[in-house]
Parts: sequence; C-alpha cells; structure tokens
Amino acid sequence: MLTTGFKLWFGSCAAALSAAVFAGYTSGGTETGPISLGWKGGVGNHVTYVLFVTAAAVFGLLGIIAIAFRDADSESVAEVLGVDTAPPAQTQVGSSIWPVLGALGVATLVIGLVVSSALFVVGLLVLVAVSLEWTMNNWSERATGDPEVNRELRERLLRPIEIPILALVGIGVLVLAMSRVLLASSVNGAVLVAGVVGVCVFGAAFLFSRRPNIPRRVVSTVLIVSCVAVLAAGIVAAATGEREFHQQGGGSGGDHVEVGE
Amino acid sequence: MTETAADTTRTGGVVPTALEAAVTTTDHLRIGRAWLASGALLLVASLVAGLLVSVERMDLTGMAVFGDVDSLFRFWSAYRVGLVLLVVVPVFVGLATAVVPLQVGASSIVFPRAAALGFWVWALGAAFTVAGFVIDGGLGTPGAVSRTDALALTLLGLLMVIGGICCATVCILTTIVAGRTAGMNLSRVPLFAWSVLVAGSIWLVTLPVLAANTVLIYVDLTGRSAVAFGVEDTIWGQLSWAFSHPQVYAFALPLVGIAGDIVPVAARRRHGNHRALLVLTALIGVLSFGAYAQAAFDIGTPIREQAIFVVEAFLIVPLVLLVLVGLVDVLRRGVGSRRTRMPAPLYLSVLSVLFLLDGTVLGALRAVAPLDLLDRSTTGAQFTFTIGAALLAAMAGTLWWGDLIVGRVVPQGFGLASALAVAVGIVLIAVPDTISGFMGLADFTGGDLVGAGNPGSGVDVLNTVALVGSAHLLVGALGWLVTGVLRLRGARSLADPWGGHTLEWSTSPVEVTSESPLLDATVEAGA
Repeated sequence: MLTTGFKLWFGSCAAALSAAVFAGYTSGGTETGPISLGWKGGVGNHVTYVLFVTAAAVFGLLGIIAIAFRDADSESVAEVLGVDTAPPAQTQVGSSIWPVLGALGVATLVIGLVVSSALFVVGLLVLVAVSLEWTMNNWSERATGDPEVNRELRERLLRPIEIPILALVGIGVLVLAMSRVLLASSVNGAVLVAGVVGVCVFGAAFLFSRRPNIPRRVVSTVLIVSCVAVLAAGIVAAATGEREFHQQGGGSGGDHVEVGE
Repeated sequence: MTETAADTTRTGGVVPTALEAAVTTTDHLRIGRAWLASGALLLVASLVAGLLVSVERMDLTGMAVFGDVDSLFRFWSAYRVGLVLLVVVPVFVGLATAVVPLQVGASSIVFPRAAALGFWVWALGAAFTVAGFVIDGGLGTPGAVSRTDALALTLLGLLMVIGGICCATVCILTTIVAGRTAGMNLSRVPLFAWSVLVAGSIWLVTLPVLAANTVLIYVDLTGRSAVAFGVEDTIWGQLSWAFSHPQVYAFALPLVGIAGDIVPVAARRRHGNHRALLVLTALIGVLSFGAYAQAAFDIGTPIREQAIFVVEAFLIVPLVLLVLVGLVDVLRRGVGSRRTRMPAPLYLSVLSVLFLLDGTVLGALRAVAPLDLLDRSTTGAQFTFTIGAALLAAMAGTLWWGDLIVGRVVPQGFGLASALAVAVGIVLIAVPDTISGFMGLADFTGGDLVGAGNPGSGVDVLNTVALVGSAHLLVGALGWLVTGVLRLRGARSLADPWGGHTLEWSTSPVEVTSESPLLDATVEAGA
C-alpha cells in the first residue's frame, strides 16, 4: 500500500495542509477557521491559505491517481508483464526534431497573440501536428521489441499523411511569400524578380540534373538557403506593404484594369 | 560520460550535420551545455542593463542615459528579471541537466525529449522577453513610454520562460526520484542532486503562481475593461515577490549542494553529518517558499508585517549559518592533511555560501518593522548578495564539473580570476546599497528622485562605488564567458580530475551499497 508514489504525494499533501493551517493561525485566523477550511471562522490571509490548500488538493489528487493506476510501483509492472523483475524504466531515445518544432509552435502562437490572429492559428496548428507526431513516435517506439520494425511501422503509418501535407504547406508558403514580393515590387521590378527567380530555379534544376554526383548535402543546403531567402523576402515584403494600385477605366459598369506605379 | 553518438537509425543512415545534431539532440550533456551557454550570454546582457542603470543613478535629474523614468525602470526591472529567470535559474538547470543524471547513476535524463523541449521553449521565451524589454515593453506602465504590444510580448515571453524552466525541472526531478541506480536511496544522493530536488520542488510550486500573476496582467492589459483585475498599472508590484525575500532564496538554493559536493572532495574529508546537511537544505527550501508574500494583494494587515513573513526571515539565517559551519568544519579537518593546493571551485563555493548568509541577514533586517527597510535599497542589496552568491556558485560548478560536461580542460586560474572579479563586484554593489538603504534611499531610486540622494547625503558617493561594482561584475561575467570558449578549445580532460569518486565521475555502472557513498572510495584508498 505504501508505495513510493503514495509516500511522495500524500506526504506532500500533509505538508501543504499543515503549512496552510500554520499560515492561517499566524496571519489572523480565528480558532476554528484554518482547520475548518473557513467554514467556522476566518482563515487569516486568504491568498496564502488558498495557495497552500490548493497545493494540498493537487498533491492529494496526484496521490489518488498514483494509487489507482499503481504508478511508481515496480512490482505491479513486473506482475502485469509476467516477469520476475520490472524492465528498465528508461530506454535510450535518439535525436528528435519534435521538441524544437514544438517550441517554434509555441513561439508562433505567442507572436500571433501579439501581432495577428492568423499567426496564432498557425501556431496552434503546428502544436497540434507536433503533438500528434510526438505521440505516434512514442507509440511506435514501444510497438514491438525491434527498433527497426518500429521505425518501419511508424513510417508506413505516417509518411502517406506527412508528405502530402508538408508538400502542400511548403508550396503554399513559398507561393504566398513570392506573391508578397511581387505585390510589393514596382511593375517592372515584379517582372524582373519573377524572371530572375524563374531563371535561378531553372538553372539550379538544370545543374543538378547534369551533375548527378553533386553531394546530397550540397543540394539540400542550396534548397534550404533558397527557401529561407524567399521566405525572408516574403516577410519583409509583407511588412513593407503592397505598392499603390490605381484603377484605370471609366464608369461604374465599365471594364477596369489595376496597374501599379 | 554518457554522451551518445548521433542516432542514425531515424535518419535513414545519413549522419546529421553539426547544426542538425545540435537542434535535434536529446543528450543531457548537450542540452546542459546549451542551457549554460545561453545563460552566460544572457548574463552579459543583464549586466549591461545593470551597468547602464548604475550610470544613470549617478545623476537622476539629468536622465542622460535613458531620457525618462519609465525607461530607467524598464532596464532596472530587466536587470532583476534577467539575472533570475534568464541567468541563475537556467544555469542551475543546465548544470543539473548535465550532472544530476550521472550523480544518481541514471543512464540519461528521464524524458529527454521533454528536457529538450524545455530548453527550446525557454530559449525562445528569453528572446521574446529581451526583445520586449528593448522595444519599449518590459514591465513598466502602459501608456507612458511603454507600448502595449511590446509589454504583451514581454509578458508572453516570461510565460514561455517559466514554462520552459518548469518543463526542464520536471525532467530533472523525475530523474532524481525515479531514475536512481540500485541501492541509492534519497538519503544517499549527492548534495547537489538533493539541493536541486528541493529547489526544483519549490520552483514547481511557485513559478506557476508567477505565471498566473503574469496571465492576470496580460488579460488586464489586452482584455476589455469589464474583465480588468485592476493591476495594469502595477505590473512590477504584482511580480516583485519572486525577486525578493523569501522567494529569491529558492532560486539560489542549489548553491548549497554545489558547495556541499565540492568541499569534501577538495578537502579529502567527508561531511561530519551528511543527513544533517540534507535536512538543513530541505528546511531552507521550505522556508524559501515565497508565493504567499504578494504585497499587491494585501487586505488588512500587510503580508510583510505578518508573523509568518517575519518568522521565516529570521529562521533561515541560522540554517544557512549551520550549513556554512558544516562546510568550514570539513575544511578545517581536511586542510592539514592535503598536500596539494586547494582547487579554485572550493574557494568560490564557500564564498557563495558566505554571500548567501549575508543575503539572509539582510532579509531578516528587512523584516524588522522599525527599521523600515522593506522598500529601501537594502532590498536591492539582499538581491545582489543572494543572486550574486548563486552566480558565484554556478561559476564554481562549471569549473568543477566543466571537464565532465564539455570533456575538455581549461586553466583554473583564469576562471578563478573571473569569479573573484564577480565576487568583488557583488560586495561593491551590495554594501553601498545596504548603507544607502539605512540612509533612506528607495529601492527603485528613479521613482523617488528626492530619496535618490543629494551631494551632501553621502548616497552619491555610495552610488559611485556601486557603479564600480557593476563594472567589476560585467568584467567577471565576460571572463566567465571567455573561460567557456577557452574550454571548448582545451585539451581532452581526465575521467576523474579531482579524485572525487562520486558517481558522476564513474565510467561504469555502479551499485551503491554504502550508507555514506560520498568519498568512501577516497577514504578507503587512504587519500
């Protein structure tokens, strides 16, 4: 009965309750107030008392959960698995991109709260995606005893979803960024930018196809740098704003064309 | 060392680049290094803010540096918030992330991905917080000079900082509670791991309260007037409890563990009573719980005049004194038998406990109502002594465990010189602020120009001394940063440079069978 979890959480609960009563009596509580949770009399300083009692309630709840699920009880783990001793609690995990992506999701959410609700939604979507990926990763790592099988299992399940979504998002972001750049440039500038970018894309593709032995790392570096450059230019252009447009043409029902200056 | 090679099974056999490895790592030593490096960089930034404030204090009527009181307040609060949440706590978290799993015999930190998440959330939050302070945000009064969106960015950055610290702390605490090797019960864990367990527990029950305060302010700042909690104009007033007595001790508490681990190994004598030190550390931790001491919510008798606040302030002094006596006793017994020179971290760690004692004494004096020191510059002096002590201990810790964390050595002399510059800086800032407090100088001098002193009061001279102290502190911090860079280029370190024989220096799995594992191997070897 007195498992490690029980001792930790209920011990903390008792300590927090004692602290609440002590704080109540030393901050102006009546004789019975602090020991009756304020039902019979005052509890002294409300903030102090409420903090300690809330802490006690949380610790107590965690204790009940630990007991109910037999958490922190190695004997029960061994019993469930049908082995004599519990397996190691810790398994080595490799590198993972999800922590940093999760943090970037939180950061996007925060910037969205300050700047725009659209960014806030993007942050939320990133967090949801990271949560799902992280959860699936953890599940797949324990699916079987063979890490290689686990990896294949994960990829077979998630790759058909990940690749199309990532492709759509990537294309969408790049198109959006390019459109911001073109809208912020002058009319002739936009033509020039579109031409230069097109030539660069075509040139790079031509070069890579002619030289298939170019190291994979060089190709990925060029692609990443190019995407980041387009993205940065898009952000700068969005912050600068679109060029001014003037309506050409006449009356209300007539054809009109928008041109920039 | 538990540093593992990059996992290539997930990358289809492709070896990740250095950048990819750094960004995606879940290795506790790498994550620990990231915390330490970020903390060192932000220390320099925080101290630059402090130095500018010290320069401005020389002549507040002119406001030559900041131009107005609101901007001065912004940097003044940035200095305090930065030193605690962006420097001292992260550096302790970094040390703990790297060292504690090894100390308790765990193969790695528990929840390594969550530990990485904690770092990245904190790092991005720190960037937002700094940006918020720089772009007219901070924790000042909205509508004066501060911009509302920049204030919001600072508050949200602080929330991320708190979230990241809590996430990392949960991982460290779970490692201590659930990841210990066979035979190592909690009474046998090294003092640093124990002090982190105690301090981390206090952080976990108090930092969410600070986060709740921040959310209230944020809602007040950006919400409609109908949901206003009425604290918009007193942002700092609602958060200041976290940066003064008694909460500030909780942030500095791991220094007791650092000193407790360094001194016996350096002096080649075990603690007279290891368990007594565990109990003392726990008691200091309990007394440092400060989330209740929120003057902003005072109803009736002010919280800082109530018995619990005063009793706590006085009780903590003898506890820290007992810790210091215990360490000095070990030193006294060991110094005669040691034939070689004492290592630099020993001096620094003992000095840090001495500074913590100074801080607690000032905390007790602040609680004496007739002295009327609660809102005087004595508050700043107490902050400087306590957080300065933590900083000194962190420097001692990085010199002590640096070989283990980085795998390379650095000359101890340069690190010692940097830390001593910091120590001199702490004294030169804290002592004048203490005296100025007794002379009536307000804690935030910019808000009370009359109380800021005049040429005849002597406060101006003291402000000059404090300015020199700020410069010393900055030079020392830069020296610490340089020490870290030099270490990266140093020669490969030995497995056990100090002859410590505690678990973190062991290279093979260990089962603890002794009641007092610390130094047993050394004593048995007759060292």
